[in-house]
Amino acid sequence: MDSSVIRQLRKIVGHEAVLDRPEELMLYEYDGGIDRSRPGAVVFPSTTEHVAGIMRLAHATKTPVVPRGAGTGLSGGAIARKEAIVLSLARMNKILEIDVENQRAVVQPGVVNLEVSNATTKLGYFYAPDPSSQKACTIGGNVAENSGGPHTLALGVTVNHVTGLEVVLPDGRIVYFGGKAQDSTGLDLTGFFVGSEGTMGVATAITVKLTRSPEHVTTLLAIYNTVQDAANTVVAITQSGITPAALEMLDGWMVRCVEENVHAGYPMDAAAVLLIELEGLKEAVEEQAEAVAAVCTQAKAREVRRARDEKERQLLWLGRKTAFGAVGRVAPAYYTQDGVIPRTKVPATLAEIERISQHYGLIIGNVFHAGDGNLHPLILFDPRNPKQVEDAHKAAQEILACCLNFGGSITGEHGVGIEKMHLMPAMFTEDDLQVMITLRNAYNPESILNPQKIIPDLRYCREITGPLPKPKVEAAPGVRQ
Amino acid sequence: MSTVAETASLERELAAISGEQNVSHAEADTPAINGVVPAVSVSVSSAEQAAAVLALANDRGLVVAPAGGFTQQDIGGVPERVDILLRTERISGIQTYDPGDLTISINAGTTFAEVQAGLAEHKQWLPYDAANLDRATVGGCVATGAAGPLKHAFGGLRDFCIGVQFVTAEGKVAKGGGMVVKNVAGYDLMKLMNGSFGTLGVITRANFKVFPQPRQTRTFVCNFSSLAEAVEFRRRVSQSPLQPICLDIISPGAAEYLCDPQPAKDPDHYAPTQAASKPGSTWQIVLRAAGSDNVLARYGRELGPAVSRTLDSHTKEEDQFWRWVRHFESSVLARHQNAMVMYTHMPIQGVAPALHAMEKAAPDYNFIPAVVGRAATGNLVLAFMPLSVDPPSAMQYANCVSAFRGMLPPGASAEVAHCPKEAKPHFDVWGTTPSDMGIMKAVKKAIDPKNILNRGRFIV
Repeated sequence: MDSSVIRQLRKIVGHEAVLDRPEELMLYEYDGGIDRSRPGAVVFPSTTEHVAGIMRLAHATKTPVVPRGAGTGLSGGAIARKEAIVLSLARMNKILEIDVENQRAVVQPGVVNLEVSNATTKLGYFYAPDPSSQKACTIGGNVAENSGGPHTLALGVTVNHVTGLEVVLPDGRIVYFGGKAQDSTGLDLTGFFVGSEGTMGVATAITVKLTRSPEHVTTLLAIYNTVQDAANTVVAITQSGITPAALEMLDGWMVRCVEENVHAGYPMDAAAVLLIELEGLKEAVEEQAEAVAAVCTQAKAREVRRARDEKERQLLWLGRKTAFGAVGRVAPAYYTQDGVIPRTKVPATLAEIERISQHYGLIIGNVFHAGDGNLHPLILFDPRNPKQVEDAHKAAQEILACCLNFGGSITGEHGVGIEKMHLMPAMFTEDDLQVMITLRNAYNPESILNPQKIIPDLRYCREITGPLPKPKVEAAPGVRQ
Repeated sequence: MSTVAETASLERELAAISGEQNVSHAEADTPAINGVVPAVSVSVSSAEQAAAVLALANDRGLVVAPAGGFTQQDIGGVPERVDILLRTERISGIQTYDPGDLTISINAGTTFAEVQAGLAEHKQWLPYDAANLDRATVGGCVATGAAGPLKHAFGGLRDFCIGVQFVTAEGKVAKGGGMVVKNVAGYDLMKLMNGSFGTLGVITRANFKVFPQPRQTRTFVCNFSSLAEAVEFRRRVSQSPLQPICLDIISPGAAEYLCDPQPAKDPDHYAPTQAASKPGSTWQIVLRAAGSDNVLARYGRELGPAVSRTLDSHTKEEDQFWRWVRHFESSVLARHQNAMVMYTHMPIQGVAPALHAMEKAAPDYNFIPAVVGRAATGNLVLAFMPLSVDPPSAMQYANCVSAFRGMLPPGASAEVAHCPKEAKPHFDVWGTTPSDMGIMKAVKKAIDPKNILNRGRFIV
């Protein structure tokens, strides 16, 4: 990295807010995904003006910049090459405003997802999108990736909950999109920005919707002797006219793995379980719980349990939310993807994943957002065994190919990043991708910001990393997760 | 286009693309856009035909106006000229629909009424209730971002549009999204196309996630003697555990337009056929809830004595009531061809100040105000009826809009959806927006460099 750029960065943000020693930079070589590369420098702005100053410098010196939140992303979106600056938003972590009357909060990008709910739960509100990494991941990162989570089945993903943005463009200009209003006159620049994976600008303030906490919540655990019965239930529930708040599935291997880790009360001998959450008015929840239990039983559930109290409910969810971590305990490494399929194809896809698992002799655990058809196959392998590494990648590619064959998508919530860039031509034509590049160029003409992500134009490289970073923020009492 | 010969030659080329019977020129009954008659009209039957037309137009720098069901064509500025009216109604039909997946892919020229009828067979629906859905097409609704009372609970089309195919000005067929409900592969072109008023591309197909249709609903009409009381009630509802699917506010002056539209008998005469009568003073908050008998009974208990009457989904009354609410604007325009209609966007807390602003601005400029809208999303439909005794001049529209906008709370925006075309050159029908205009213009310029799509009609 050019030492004059480092000097100028220090002038903007202060001496201690720039890292450039190799041992410091090592920590920023990876995110939650499998790609790895050491950046040239890491800079920690504290204000929007800092970010603007950094971007002006980057623009003038043609230095690539890669924005980074908590580094929990699973597609290599925060990976920077050696000539690039990592722009960490970790110090911009203040909740700027909570406006209950307008049901909005304005936050800085480095605010951890769960902190928004922690700060508003006493007021009777919460922030709906709830990625499994919500104790660590940041709102800025959520905006970049258009993150989902279990409760997005009924409530929608990040883009449905962001109404306004303050954005620093790649040339350092500070601009505003939307505000506290649900929408505004003209193009929906807010909606278009969400999910752009840091290639259009750096969000420095984000206005999010606060959702009224439901009066009543109940969680059911349906237990199955075969994976196919559980998969068929998913189809039956969505057809029954009930939209659960969440509808998650864990296969037998995952159930045992999770149970050994957190003792959530999952049956060790099940072939699959469904975790079904219903919320709303007490009367509606009670009726729906009965109806859903009937659907499960009819679809050959061995048993349907209902969490008796909040503690039991939280425990059931703890199992789901810590599933990836639990896998980290039993396997040296795993590779996960998040392909999406139409809901009716869940049974066929799970059968195909089982076939792929046997073909390569690799364990593949499944824990996923079944109601959305959003898979998360965890492919276990030993990184010291080159054959297994290769097979794990092949298996992952085959699963994504299966998703595409069923009319699905290569990613439901993790983003394209570096990891899945080479698969974009399988989903989109050259014209589609050219239109996307044209639009990106309207914001980021020289591709200074997060270059070589999402839309393929150069070769990609990848290595392997271990499990996700540890949680930072614990839920406050009474906060729904 | 300057000469008759050029027009004739263009017609021949368009006929080669989509067939002679699908091309007509100005003398035929081509619908006018704000009084501007398109030189040539062509109806295409596929995205590829639309692409060929656009490539041709782009090559020559001809101005193109995409058209669906002609329900919203008068929104926006008066175009300098329209060389080609590109009609999409023949790109029609439901492309794919699997009730088990709760997703549907629809060709752009299909009417929403046809879509809803297909979904209803499987007890599903798109929770979408903009006006005139018997004529409005899927492409047109996505392009205009039109919405109705269900926006309260379900959001606009943007919130459940999962894929879009469109043709760019340069004649490329492009798409974003897909056919699954969760998808972050590539940029969210659905959001960009939604509400872009045909300025970024011609929409040829759109995919949506669909929802189970509620088995029964009930509507609770609550009357209040002042705006303040109505707004306070809205606040209590918003902060309660209740989750109505619609939550509308209706002003005293609006009640008389909540009926089937009565077409003006003499469209050329300036004065309205019926004078707007002196409004009453009752503000209404209207909730619609879905659920079992038990759930609906709970709504009744929670809302208490505020409810003056209820309408059930098994009676025709409820359906009729919401149809009238959706068609408030049509009803106003049918009675007063010189009325002005504005759409607002603002934070929830902005609703009361905006309504005060309307009540202040309207009489100052010889209008009678009436409003129907989403009380908790800030999307209001404001109608300004000219006083028949003193018809307003073009400048009075401009001044009224300016006065109204000046009183709006911060972060609000308001566009004029309808007003006499003679008034439009005197002010900016789109007004200001909290979003960055520089980026909007850059996006438009990137994707339509020659500015051939709906030139001069939208904010960009």
